[in-house]
Amino acid sequence: MSLVNYQTREITSKIVYYGPGRSGKTTNLHTIYSQVPDDRKGKMVSLATQTDRTLFFDFLPLDLGSISGFTTRFQLYTVPGQVYYHATRKLVLQGADGVVFVADSQARQLQENIESFQDLHQNLSEQGVEPRGIPLVLQYNKQDLPPDLILTTKELSDAINFRGVPEFPADALHGPGVFETLRGISELVLKRLSAGASR
Amino acid sequence: MIKASVEPWIEAPLQQFVDDAGVVLALLLHPSGQVMGQYGFTRAMDVMSACALAAAIHLSSSELGMQLEGKPFTGLHHAGKDRQVFIAETETRRGPYILLTVFDGESSLGLVRMFFDEFRVNLANAAPVPVPAPHPMLNENFERELNRNLAVLFGRA
Amino acid sequence: MSSPFTAILDAFSRQRGVQASLAVSARDGIAIESNLQIGQDGTRVAALAASLYAKARKAATAAGLGSTGFLQLEAEAGRLCMLGGDDVILVVVGDPQANVGLIRMELIRAAEALA
Repeated sequence: MSLVNYQTREITSKIVYYGPGRSGKTTNLHTIYSQVPDDRKGKMVSLATQTDRTLFFDFLPLDLGSISGFTTRFQLYTVPGQVYYHATRKLVLQGADGVVFVADSQARQLQENIESFQDLHQNLSEQGVEPRGIPLVLQYNKQDLPPDLILTTKELSDAINFRGVPEFPADALHGPGVFETLRGISELVLKRLSAGASR
Repeated sequence: MIKASVEPWIEAPLQQFVDDAGVVLALLLHPSGQVMGQYGFTRAMDVMSACALAAAIHLSSSELGMQLEGKPFTGLHHAGKDRQVFIAETETRRGPYILLTVFDGESSLGLVRMFFDEFRVNLANAAPVPVPAPHPMLNENFERELNRNLAVLFGRA
Repeated sequence: MSSPFTAILDAFSRQRGVQASLAVSARDGIAIESNLQIGQDGTRVAALAASLYAKARKAATAAGLGSTGFLQLEAEAGRLCMLGGDDVILVVVGDPQANVGLIRMELIRAAEALA
């Protein structure tokens, strides 16, 4: 849960980018990192294999500046997407204040998206977190690929977004949708915080 | 060097530990990776990265202990050429916290462990009884501030 | 289970006035082996004695006195005697009746044997 310090007037929240392997979770963080000024971000930590597949997590701290008089910082994490990293995904997900589910828009990845989404809900439940209560947005990444290879946002929405959460088409590699997704999850996390869930 | 803690009751025990053990860096963090107090770091963002890594190391080594022995490891020590790292968990009435400390030849593992035992007691004694925290009460138009700040962050302002 | 230090520490313990003897890792300040009496905290003695000896070595070097040998700390209720090198420090805790000369001789002999 978000950490709030009333003396120093600071808010720190943890956001986890979740999704199947190669859906673009790390790419989201790389894109954010490349666009944010040096004084508003920390070092990006990437615990990855030699082939740049996330092994444990990526981490990027962001300073969002002052919001309602509170210095607001977000800690962005990604999880490894491959199925066999189930245990480490659970560890990284602990204490998350918000989740961005990054779906791969390629048609052949639909089943992986669904299974990963189920995996997310199961892990949240096992941690005692009500999956329907935690702030969540969906990102349909790789919408820049040829139309015959991908599903439309409506098709993806019908397949995955049974909760009706905010959803954002994206091309994380080149930028479109990354900012909007981060804004979407930020709003939900801060709204929930203001409504009464803090540590 | 920055010396800061998120909550005032952490400062005295942490400072005592730093002074007694003679360490170079000290971080007290929540198991989720959020910083509670620190000594020796120069940038807030570096602290956050260190916390994330320390939490991950602690979590994964605990899990490894559970898998190997059926119970988590209680502490971790890494000896580098010039510096050493010690990570261990401590319990308070506010919940568990993790201490990460880096030390060089001016200290030793024996000293760090000895004073960590004292730190655990001091921290537990200093921890106040948890009380329900008020809400941050963000303004009605906080979305506007958020959007403006994000736009500045992404060079869209 | 015996170690290279067992016989050395046992020899100290047989001396009149010796309350404890330890072989301590110089780098870590952790007791490798110890002969203690009930109620003594060897962990703390090991850590602090190693730290003290390390500081003494630096002080001697800074003063241009070369390497450090025997170190003795006089306290109200007894004395702490130490001698060591880069790897191991031998520590003897004695009461006022302990014979410092004998302890010093044994420490030097033991250090030469270990080297």
